[in-house]
Amino acid sequence: MEPGKRRTKDDTWKAEDLRKHLWAVQSGSPKEDKKHRDKKLHKDSELDLLEYKEHKYRDPDRDARHRDLYTSKENPYGERDREKHREKRKDTKDREKEKLKERHREQDAERLHGRGKDREKERDRRPRKEEIKQTAAYHNILVREARDRQLLDRADKKTRSGSKVRIEEKERRDEDSERVDEDRERRYRERKLQYGDNKDNPLKFWLYKEEDERKHRKPREVDREKKHQEKGSTREKREKHSKEKGNFLTDKEGEERHREKRHRDLDDERHRNHTERKERLSKEEHKKKESKEIEKEASDLQNAGPDEISANFEDDFEDYEDDFEVCDGDDDESNYDPDSQEKSEELPPAQKREIQEIQKAINAENERIGELSSKRFPKQSRMEYEKQSRADANISPSRTPVCGIFVDFATASHRQKSRSQALKQKTRSTKLLRLIDLDFSFTFSLLDLPPVNEYDMYIRNFGKKNTKQAYVQYNEDNVERDIQTEDIETREVWTQHPGESALVSGGSRDRGLSDATIVPKIDTPRLSSFLRAACQVVAVLLEEDRLSVRPSWQLTAEDNSLHVSDSSCQLNTDLPFLQNREVLCLHASQVQRQTVVSVHDVPGRASFPPLDSRLLLCVWDIWQPSGPQKALICESKVTCCCFSPFKAFLLFAGTVHGSVVVWDLREDSRIHHYVRLSDCSWTFRTPTFSTDGILTSVNHRSSLRAIEPVATSVYRKQSFVLSPFTTQEEMSGLSFHIASLDESGILNMWVVVELPKADNAGSMSDLGLLPGGRIKLVHSSVIQLGNSLHRKDSEFWGPTQTLSVKFLPSDSNHFIVGTDLGFISHGTRQDVKVSPKLFKPQQHGMRPVKVNVIDFSPFGEPIFLAGCSDGSIRLHQLASEWPLAQWDSSTEGSAICSLQWSPTRPAVFLVQDAASRVYIWDLLESDLGPVATQLISPDRLLAMTVTGESDKAGGSFLALALARASGAVDIQYLKRQWTVPKADEQSQLHLLLQEGLWSSEHPWRGPRGPPRT
Amino acid sequence: MASRPSFVVGTSLSLSDGAPEAEKNAAESENTYILRPIFQQRFRPSVVKDCIHAVLKEELTNAEYSPEEMPQLTKHLSETVKDKLKGMGFDRYKMVVQVLIGEQRGEGVFMAARCFWDADTDNYIHDVFMNDSLFCVVAAFGCFYY
Repeated sequence: MEPGKRRTKDDTWKAEDLRKHLWAVQSGSPKEDKKHRDKKLHKDSELDLLEYKEHKYRDPDRDARHRDLYTSKENPYGERDREKHREKRKDTKDREKEKLKERHREQDAERLHGRGKDREKERDRRPRKEEIKQTAAYHNILVREARDRQLLDRADKKTRSGSKVRIEEKERRDEDSERVDEDRERRYRERKLQYGDNKDNPLKFWLYKEEDERKHRKPREVDREKKHQEKGSTREKREKHSKEKGNFLTDKEGEERHREKRHRDLDDERHRNHTERKERLSKEEHKKKESKEIEKEASDLQNAGPDEISANFEDDFEDYEDDFEVCDGDDDESNYDPDSQEKSEELPPAQKREIQEIQKAINAENERIGELSSKRFPKQSRMEYEKQSRADANISPSRTPVCGIFVDFATASHRQKSRSQALKQKTRSTKLLRLIDLDFSFTFSLLDLPPVNEYDMYIRNFGKKNTKQAYVQYNEDNVERDIQTEDIETREVWTQHPGESALVSGGSRDRGLSDATIVPKIDTPRLSSFLRAACQVVAVLLEEDRLSVRPSWQLTAEDNSLHVSDSSCQLNTDLPFLQNREVLCLHASQVQRQTVVSVHDVPGRASFPPLDSRLLLCVWDIWQPSGPQKALICESKVTCCCFSPFKAFLLFAGTVHGSVVVWDLREDSRIHHYVRLSDCSWTFRTPTFSTDGILTSVNHRSSLRAIEPVATSVYRKQSFVLSPFTTQEEMSGLSFHIASLDESGILNMWVVVELPKADNAGSMSDLGLLPGGRIKLVHSSVIQLGNSLHRKDSEFWGPTQTLSVKFLPSDSNHFIVGTDLGFISHGTRQDVKVSPKLFKPQQHGMRPVKVNVIDFSPFGEPIFLAGCSDGSIRLHQLASEWPLAQWDSSTEGSAICSLQWSPTRPAVFLVQDAASRVYIWDLLESDLGPVATQLISPDRLLAMTVTGESDKAGGSFLALALARASGAVDIQYLKRQWTVPKADEQSQLHLLLQEGLWSSEHPWRGPRGPPRT
Repeated sequence: MASRPSFVVGTSLSLSDGAPEAEKNAAESENTYILRPIFQQRFRPSVVKDCIHAVLKEELTNAEYSPEEMPQLTKHLSETVKDKLKGMGFDRYKMVVQVLIGEQRGEGVFMAARCFWDADTDNYIHDVFMNDSLFCVVAAFGCFYY
């Protein structure tokens, strides 16, 4: 029992040594016990075994108890400490340092001893069951003694934490409590006798026990006092010992309950724990009851005396359980620690409570640890553990030692195993590393989120804040348009270089402005026609005024009048630009009779520098002789000219260079050249269209001799479908062709085309067109007259010259051409056979006679006159090759320059010869010669044309326009006898032509009549 | 843009049922290492990506960034993805799923990973999910357990 003794015990701990040592210790402890035990062991080893069995049986109870004890000590250090502790145990070093450890070691040693024994005798366990009771009784004594020792140990331990004085007290009280226990035991036994056997009557026993407990609980202090008093009296009653033990147990239980109650009162917070604990306690009680029964039986039957050996054993067992708790979680409930109980009894209530709490915490932790450890333990160990617990259940005597050893080895083996495991892992990894290649992967880019710039951020947050987005569409309905801006303003502008004319630049007016101004509804064509007419009237009136103001000028004109004319007037050719210009030819319009055009040659000497190199044409209105209506300029010498057939707004001219030029008299004067003269400005119009330099393949290569309009009115019905311009041309009077004849016998047909819109900038395709002009000529066809005119008998004369051409008024497909061989050729545009092919003079054979002029009768008679260079005049019928009449000597041999039917009288025609004479013929009056002859002198006549109108309101007139060599042009209004047609004149002429001329004047007439020479 | 970006990262580790087997193998006989996964059980990035994408789409479509909820969300996402991957039968694969959620505030972010591994067996895949308020990067690494 002395500490020194214990120390010596703990020196060696090898299994065999331990066993021996244990034996020695057991024998060497209290003599009585040793003796007793020795005896028993040697005598009957079986008994010894039974003893162990008994111990085993009681194991659960004590395990629990011990566990409490153990944990109360150990828990502050934790599991780590425990492990350390185990290790140390193995090492068997530093034992003295801590009493706790010493004790453990001791216990271990004893356990080992027990285990060794146990193993030997395990087989005999069952047959010897009966003997358990004896051993148990004996064992009880041991238990008590062991407890004493334990108490001492604990007291030692307590000194560390608590006060020494108190511990001493405690020790003392411990002894006392033992006494009390003994007393109680005694009492209990007595009562048991009263109530009968426990086994037979467990309920009674239980009740009794309860009663006893209650009794003990309340007057505990009193008991203690009593115990104190009884301290001195010592009893060595073996029979009672077991009873005492039983009592002691019950007492303890009672105490625990008491404490429990108290605790409950004090600490409500722990209520739940308490209830748990209560349950546990009830179970404990039950178990204890069982064990007590056994103990009692044992003590009753056997009455084995208390022995030191048994005490030792007891001690061993209890201590052993310290270690066992690790695995033995099953028996946790049955914890009851008498020592701690006693301690708590003695401690002040506050401390007790504290301890209780600590205990409770410990319990909880233990449970947790138990679970944890059981989980953590490898399977093997668990298996063992299970085996063990099974053994527990079977109340196997070998259980305790096995458990103890297992616990020890389990941790060790676990450690070892983990170590070996680690080693295995290591070897495995090294082997694996040889087999595989580890490498650094390239860096994976998991996320690359570039920073958002400010604008994007703004856009992202746009609309989330206080901003709003609105949609605007210009020109709302026009969604399909890409550009949502206004239309670009455009304006067309043109310019001309060199700036010859007055207008060198221009362009469309600002449309916006013109659109903006409100245009009144005006019938423009009507207005313009009115204005034109009114202007004309006003102009004429003004002209008359002027004439009346200047009678002298008028008088001179009067003086100039010829005897064949009633009156005359002179066209004002005194204009500066007309100075020194000879008139080459005169032409009067067939439709606007008062319109006359005069062609002025280039001046003989310089007079008006800007225009000196150019030819001038003047369009006159004979009623306004004071000045030309229009002044036209042409680059080359004009040989012939004509007006458009229906309205005289177009003037065509042929030049010596073979070109055809056109003037559109309607053109705005602004696009033409302006010349400012003294008091007024004159516009000199350049040709609207010229074939100069274009169409060279078909154009004339020699001087033009004649140009004639060809009315297509006859064919209108046939061609209207073909021509897209039909209606337009009809409206504008353009449904006609132009025929131009040159000396070499080429007859070109031109189509006059009016462009729908004038192009002030000039045209790229129509090179002959004046910028701003609207009329152009398109070449239609070419007729080579040379072949038809070529005759075998005329080879001698060389190529035939063609001098003039006229189209039949009745059929514009047919034309006649005057040649220089005296005969007139008849041809058609469609190349059909015609008869007669030639119109011949009366004289037979070829003569170099130029047929200068041909003129068809304007009254529809199929007759024409031909004036020849030899002075002969022939009257031909279309149906006959030979002339109806031929007057050879009317001009006395001078060449006929001009010859024209009177537009007013069908039977009258006027002739001009080269000798400056004018002849008036009236066939009804005389078919032998002219009725009147007028010599124009001293100012020689250069050109003459006839104009006149029969049905005019103011009376018909016949006017002769005479161009003098001086450059003057005067209009002679012929006398009424030649102007006004006679009654039924046409029919008379017709009759004359049918009978008179043929029969009387041409007796030799016939198809092949002999020439008169 | 004055405030600093905040990220929340959650990582889930999982070891599929390869470990005990390996132990057993090692215990029984020394040289039965399985150095290459069965072809069908290989870590296939495309499949995993689909899986991740599906999860992200389901979880984050209407999510908005809020600093308080994101830690839980990342953990939840990583666990979800990990569990899904575990269920896909990549035998003997150790899965690491990392989830990062950051707020979209216009800052630039660069995130990269580098591994020391056996390129023959191990692989990784990542998927990025973005909406107006947040971006989420999920990277799943599969390491073969020999």
